[in-house]
Amino acid sequence: MTETTQSTDAEQAAESTQTTGIDIEGGTGQPLEVTSGETREQTRDEWVEYEFDGAAKLAVEDLDVYYGDDHALKSVSMEIPENSVTALIGPSGCGKSTFLRCLNRMNDRIKAARIDGSVALEGEEIYQDGVNLVELRKRVGMVFQSPNPFPKSIRDNISYGPRKHGDLETGFLAGLLGRSDDDAVDDLVERSLRQAALWDEVQDRLDDNALGLSGGQQQRLCIARALATDPEVLLMDEPASALDPIATSKIEDLVHELAEDYTVVIVTHNMQQAARISDQTAVFLTGGELVEYGETEQVFEDPESQRVEDYISGKFG
Amino acid sequence: MTILPQYDGAGLRTAVRRELQRGRDFVDETEPDALVTVAVASVSLLAAFVGFLAVSSLTAIPFAVFLVATGYGWIRHQELTARVLTLTTTISTILILGLILVFIFAEAWPTVEYATMTVFGIPIPGLRLFVETRWSPVTPPIRYSLVPMIHGTVLVTIIATAVAAPLGVAAALFLSEIAPRTVRELVKPGVEILAGIPSIVYGFIGFTILSPWASDQFDIVGQGTYLFVGVVVGLMALPTVVSVAEDALNSVPESMKSGSLALGTTDWQTMTSITLPAAFSGVSAAVLLGVGRAIGETMAATVMLRGSPGLTKPLYNVFYGNDTLTSLIAANYGDADGLQLSALFVAGVILFITVLFLSIGSQYIEARMRQKLGGTD
Amino acid sequence: MAGAVESSLVNEDTSGTETIAASAVGLAAVLFALSLAALFEFVAITDPIAGVSMVVLLGALLVVLGAAVVAFGVGSRLGYVATQPRPSAGLVASVAFAGLWFVVGGLVASQTLGLGTVGWGATALVTGGVAFAATALPREDIGSTLPAGSLAILTGVIFLAGIIGPSWVWDLGWEQQASFNAEFAIPVVTAFCSLLAGWASAKAYGGFGARGRHVGAYVLVYLNALSIIAVLFLLVAFTVLKGLPGLFNGLAFGPGAGPETTLFGVTFTLPVSWPFVMNGVALLNDINGVLPAIVGTIWLVIGAVVFAVPLGVGAAVFITEYAERGRFTQVVEVATNGLWSTPSIVFGLFGLAFLVPRLGNGKSLLAGMLTLGFMLLPLVVITSREAMLAVPDEYRDASAALGVSKWQTVRSIVLPAALPGIVTGIILGVGRIAGETAPILLTMSGSVAPPGSQTVDVIGGFEFTTAPPFVDNPELLQATSALPYQLYSLITAGVGQSSNIANIDEFRWATALILLVVVLSFYAVGIATRYYFRRKLQHE
Repeated sequence: MTETTQSTDAEQAAESTQTTGIDIEGGTGQPLEVTSGETREQTRDEWVEYEFDGAAKLAVEDLDVYYGDDHALKSVSMEIPENSVTALIGPSGCGKSTFLRCLNRMNDRIKAARIDGSVALEGEEIYQDGVNLVELRKRVGMVFQSPNPFPKSIRDNISYGPRKHGDLETGFLAGLLGRSDDDAVDDLVERSLRQAALWDEVQDRLDDNALGLSGGQQQRLCIARALATDPEVLLMDEPASALDPIATSKIEDLVHELAEDYTVVIVTHNMQQAARISDQTAVFLTGGELVEYGETEQVFEDPESQRVEDYISGKFG
Repeated sequence: MTILPQYDGAGLRTAVRRELQRGRDFVDETEPDALVTVAVASVSLLAAFVGFLAVSSLTAIPFAVFLVATGYGWIRHQELTARVLTLTTTISTILILGLILVFIFAEAWPTVEYATMTVFGIPIPGLRLFVETRWSPVTPPIRYSLVPMIHGTVLVTIIATAVAAPLGVAAALFLSEIAPRTVRELVKPGVEILAGIPSIVYGFIGFTILSPWASDQFDIVGQGTYLFVGVVVGLMALPTVVSVAEDALNSVPESMKSGSLALGTTDWQTMTSITLPAAFSGVSAAVLLGVGRAIGETMAATVMLRGSPGLTKPLYNVFYGNDTLTSLIAANYGDADGLQLSALFVAGVILFITVLFLSIGSQYIEARMRQKLGGTD
Repeated sequence: MAGAVESSLVNEDTSGTETIAASAVGLAAVLFALSLAALFEFVAITDPIAGVSMVVLLGALLVVLGAAVVAFGVGSRLGYVATQPRPSAGLVASVAFAGLWFVVGGLVASQTLGLGTVGWGATALVTGGVAFAATALPREDIGSTLPAGSLAILTGVIFLAGIIGPSWVWDLGWEQQASFNAEFAIPVVTAFCSLLAGWASAKAYGGFGARGRHVGAYVLVYLNALSIIAVLFLLVAFTVLKGLPGLFNGLAFGPGAGPETTLFGVTFTLPVSWPFVMNGVALLNDINGVLPAIVGTIWLVIGAVVFAVPLGVGAAVFITEYAERGRFTQVVEVATNGLWSTPSIVFGLFGLAFLVPRLGNGKSLLAGMLTLGFMLLPLVVITSREAMLAVPDEYRDASAALGVSKWQTVRSIVLPAALPGIVTGIILGVGRIAGETAPILLTMSGSVAPPGSQTVDVIGGFEFTTAPPFVDNPELLQATSALPYQLYSLITAGVGQSSNIANIDEFRWATALILLVVVLSFYAVGIATRYYFRRKLQHE
């Protein structure tokens, strides 16, 4: 079973959660708490408590998300440490992508979505009046499930964010006034592409249309594009799900390196991948519940929840 | 997908051979009875068509045969008959376009021939229609220049486009990107209803309200201005622009828009830097179609203009409105015959060809856009 | 990086400055509304409002608004107001302001100062250039407020100083006379300036920068959408108001009130008398009506649908289900789209050349039906094809896998599934052709004000003859009227020719209204059907 619930299409995301919601809602309209093969058990608070040194980069408290009548996320609380990789795993429709999209308020795009609870970025609440979404999304970048480069040149794709933020000036008028930042753009493009391990492959064709790149290259371009705005947190929504194994392993290596400078939160459907690349893992199970959260090694080798163990050993999901 | 097929000899020959082979297989495989029925139906329909073209009162006979044959075929060999019938309907659709071309060209020819002008010893038919400016069907020298009407059509189209294009694209942006769902569900049918108001009603309101008001405001002698015809026609072309442009904007993948927003841009920046450029060809196709609508709009122009062919003085004086190609036809068909009627058909040919090219052009642009967004470019 | 913008995650409390900018936007809105009122002559520009004449009020408000905009920009530049401006207002704004000031400079130099071509050309170039520099060179907060605000101030001063006063006239001096007078120029210029200043203050409200541009653009886009809806509403409301008196003139209820009617051989008296839709035009009628035109329109629509729908749906079935995607389908697509955009008057010409000589050699109902059928055909093909393409291929595959033949699949699977789309398309198309005037003008138009006796009776008109073509229907081969044509002929006929009609103006508006009602009800039904089926599909 592949994860189809959260497509990159925001509107669709809301609909598909409702329509493909077999996991969430049975044919009778009664909430169905478990998928087949899943046992019932009560979630305990201590399973999601995870102690780490230092302050939390992102602190989520009692987050509830509703799509219309659908309760997609149920009272999720977790703290995400700085400069690390946090993996979110779980079966289809468990709300992990929804959770991810709450962290930079991309769920605001979905008109039917209602969000309750609190998310704080470095202690500052992002769900309050007067939050500058532009500023938030500059600081919390995002890479989507399927690569979505703009139909522009590779160079323009990378420099898009900074140009739109007014950090870089290019174009006719800037050139006329002698304020053009062409050199800075070149530096930025090279630095970002190197960070995303794409520089060697595309350095000779920076002015080609980005849609001409292969899928794996496009996805790394999207990562480079997100890095170019110099975010603090990078959210990745199954960035490798549409890619072949070679491209996937490149992205995995990349994620590992990025954790030195960035706080990475990655949704994945692939448990091996989560085990390989993450420092801590959060397991969401059916019904939009966060069941277990802890150090990756502990979660995979000695899970506290029976359901998590069943899920990791492949009994359902 | 390309609109304009690329012909190459070898490919065409193989295609023909394949079709022939298929035809032979078809004859071999089909029951003789069914084949005869279909053949009778086709031949009789063809005969009926020829009879109709030849203005024969006997047309009814082959047509009756056709009805009987298809009726029989429908009962006995429905599968084949259905296929042949649908093919017939498809061909007649194309045929209608062909017939329009042939008939209006044929009717237009006498005037084109009459207006032959000799340049450097080479007679060029129809040239005088476009180099002189005199339209005088009654007082000699009798001349049928279309220049004044083309001038009027161009002025009206420019003004209408200036109204419909920016407002239409902005409204399309509003509908597809900005409006909350409830507002969109109200505004969209509203725009469609705007498209539904008959042009004669627009013309009537223009004629009774706008024209007298304009004469009064601008101290114009008499009534009828290209300016306000243009504004009214622009309003009428607006829904076309809005709905086609909105389709184009909607076809830009949501993932691209989300990708831009996730980088921390405003909605407006996303629209101007991502959505509009990506949908540019679709939006320009929308504007082209709107231009086509404006060129072909008849009734508002007919009732609001003066109906006295001639150029305005000076040429850019939009406060006077004489005649457009469409209003010329609508206002003069009644008492025209002979060469004058034929001259009206020339106007029709110009309209038809221009709008057909605009339509093909916009289809080509749209096909290009689909190709580009498909990522194969 | 040049001009890196510092900004915090949560906006600080800027309610004070926002209030100032917002009230500037509000003032611009008030000015815009006032200028519209003056333009449509609800208020004359010399009328006193709050003790001063309208011109003076407009001028004063413009000066205040312009001053507020400039003050906000300067305040932001000097750091009194917290904003996030860009280093420059951008190329689009620069070019727009340059063009604007070019025109202003040229007009002032040539009209007010009376300079010659060289003089006003040079002045215009200088003012345009200065405006470009003033927009492009300084920071965005100055660049987007100063040129807009000073234009508003200048205009206001011109109004206040009486340079453009109530008696001002600018004769364009063209061979065909035309001139601008104050009643037109003052409201239009005021409206434009208030839009410009409103945009600048909206930008200021957003604190300039990306957010400011966003707010500024949204104000204009919302205003545009609002005006389109307002125009639509005004058009319909105006026609309804003007048309109602004529439409319901002499309406009476009660048993025996209406005319005698024979239906299916039974003669009875209608309980309602509605002269406008039940009478024709006749000298002896108390109240004249448009019955022949209504019946003509109904028959036109029926004829066009009977002709075009089978052809169109058949063609759509063939190109969607039978033909392989290739050159042939492309040709059909190009042809149908070409037909769809062909001007209606060209269809009229075609009917005149092709149908009229072949159908009794005169204008006739049948020729009109077929001409409108030709117009309807491409729309039926396009919408039916779209509806059929929307039927998932799985349905077809499932049916084919059961061994059902192609035609049976089309008939029992594809067509029923596509039916809602096809029906909606047909209804909308019928709405369009029911209001068309140009084609029937050339192919079937009858008398200007047809009497009730000219109401067509197609069913009763059929008769069989011994000579080919054996069937004859004089009713079909007769010129008749239809609503849009009736309205057209009423407009062009003038009062003399239709002297039978007492109150020609009322009669025209009532005709326009009934045409609007007929056409818009087709649209309303079509749109409602589409929404109904869409909602049904979503809930399944």
